[in-house]
Amino acid sequence: MEFDIENPLANSNDLQSDAVPSLFLAESEHTPSENYLQSLKARDYDISVRREVISLISKFCCNLDPVLSYLAVNYLDRFLSSQGMLQPKSWVLRLVALTCISLAAKMTKTEFSITDIQGDGGIIFDKQTIQRMEVLILGALKWRMRSITPFSFIPFFICLFKLKDPPLMQALKARATEIIFKSQSDVKLLEFKPSIIAVSALLSTSHELLPLHYADFRKALSNCSFVNKEYMLQCYNVVQDITMDGYEYTYDIVSSWDTPVNVLDHHFLSSESENYTNGTTHAIVATSPIQERDIKRRKINDYGNNHTVQLSQSQRC
Amino acid sequence: MDKYEKLEKVGEGTYGKVYKAKEKATGQLVALKKTRLEMDEEGVPPTALREVSLLQMLSQSLYVVRLLCVEHVDKASKTASSTAGCSKPLLYLVFEYLDTDLKKFIDSHRKGPNPRPLPPSLVQNFLFQLCKGVAHCHSHGVLHRDLKPQNLLLDQHKGILKIADLGLGRAFTVPLKSYTHEIVTLWYRAPEVLLGSTHYSTGVDMWSVGCIFAEMVRRQALFPGDSEFQQLLHIFRLLGTPTEEQWPGVTSLRDWHVYPRWEAQNLSRAVPSLGSDGVDLLSKMLKYNPAERISAKVALDHPYFDSLDKSQF
Repeated sequence: MEFDIENPLANSNDLQSDAVPSLFLAESEHTPSENYLQSLKARDYDISVRREVISLISKFCCNLDPVLSYLAVNYLDRFLSSQGMLQPKSWVLRLVALTCISLAAKMTKTEFSITDIQGDGGIIFDKQTIQRMEVLILGALKWRMRSITPFSFIPFFICLFKLKDPPLMQALKARATEIIFKSQSDVKLLEFKPSIIAVSALLSTSHELLPLHYADFRKALSNCSFVNKEYMLQCYNVVQDITMDGYEYTYDIVSSWDTPVNVLDHHFLSSESENYTNGTTHAIVATSPIQERDIKRRKINDYGNNHTVQLSQSQRC
Repeated sequence: MDKYEKLEKVGEGTYGKVYKAKEKATGQLVALKKTRLEMDEEGVPPTALREVSLLQMLSQSLYVVRLLCVEHVDKASKTASSTAGCSKPLLYLVFEYLDTDLKKFIDSHRKGPNPRPLPPSLVQNFLFQLCKGVAHCHSHGVLHRDLKPQNLLLDQHKGILKIADLGLGRAFTVPLKSYTHEIVTLWYRAPEVLLGSTHYSTGVDMWSVGCIFAEMVRRQALFPGDSEFQQLLHIFRLLGTPTEEQWPGVTSLRDWHVYPRWEAQNLSRAVPSLGSDGVDLLSKMLKYNPAERISAKVALDHPYFDSLDKSQF
């Protein structure tokens, strides 16, 4: 009965089983509605409210497993999508953020105390208040708490690559996972289904780590009957933009220190969130250092004109 | 809960009362299953959260009764007399409503104006759907633990059989006695459970499937025991008293006693109208050693189903 974000259906069979079609079938029930995106797009103000709750969630979850905040934000989006935008009162935003985390912690069996977490000097809610809010959110989400997210699809799609090298698969998965975490807060991704986001994150990862295989992988993914090619490409472009922003951020800081390029690479890798250090290490092994550096340099050049600095969630912590 | 108009109590599920109700806005009939939710200090209990959401997922299978939604009711808000902090929140699980179950269906073929056997092709068809549903639950790590004809609902128009009353393992009470202390039927209970084994697995459901299979063929229960002891004797008289060779460890189970030593009877005599493939499948479902019992997934490929058009499922 455990909940595992990579396997929300708790399926014990292998990937070839009936579970995969049911994942694709059910994914739309775990994403916010289209109207939600439209209303966010229509009003900058709504986007800023959403952003504020997300940053509260990241703040509260700072030292916890990133899965927790990911799940909490999924609940948040679906809640807002069903209930409409929140009143912009700081206590409301705080209560919703805390409750989404509380629910996510219960689903993932994360050790977590709502009392401890509130010791930051803000308003403190009692248990009854959080409990009432929990019930409200559960109702809005129809108790569908085993969210199907992009993570649920990564193992399936990686299999399509027919790679024989487990460390390499690990590396791909680690980087794709990181991209998914990082891109969650971007409103533009709300347009796409979780499976499409997974495909795009993997595509972006292979472009970055295994450029020689990129064309093959892209072909394998677009041949998959569950994947809509057009959406895949649209989403891939969005994901690329988001990942580039990260490089650019690093680049801006590092370049202002006037450091040589190979140190830039080094800095970038060490600035990854702690949880994925292992995966990243594999990634370095997987591509030759020179190749890797060249890819980065190219990206930085491509995107050098745009100077907006966007902080990713993990960097903000 | 104002959305629904309760029509009648239709039964006692393992976990609480079940009502037939109508959704006022749409006129759609639903089954409301009332469950008490023990709120703990930290709000909605994590086990309830995980299990209800799993039920939600499982019910996406065609062969599992669909959970339409979950309604939470805070009783304290209605009865002003209850003291603060002592509220007993209720959880209503709202399921699709089906008006027949396999028990009623079999009964209607045994008694009434026109008694007749169930057509063999229908038995085959229902058993296949049952194995499909059980395989689905097992593949998600969920045991039913109380499969019986009353828990298999039928959509007669479409000819679909759906598993109901799926076990919610830990968040809700164990199904020994139902809420009204009505004795839960023992007829479909596997011997390892009757003998007090605590580490049972998917085999318990397959035993029940076997009993249900035989009952569809016979139109009466295979092992109609009225106590745990009598239940075991019914089983032993037909299948023989189990031995250590057949089932290693059986004599060390908690409730094992010394029983009369019966020899196994010919199983086909208990189900005279069933062909040899059917008897073979049945014997594999009723293996004493749970580890040797056929799984639902493997059962789907048994020769008994060869003559079935599987493309319709």
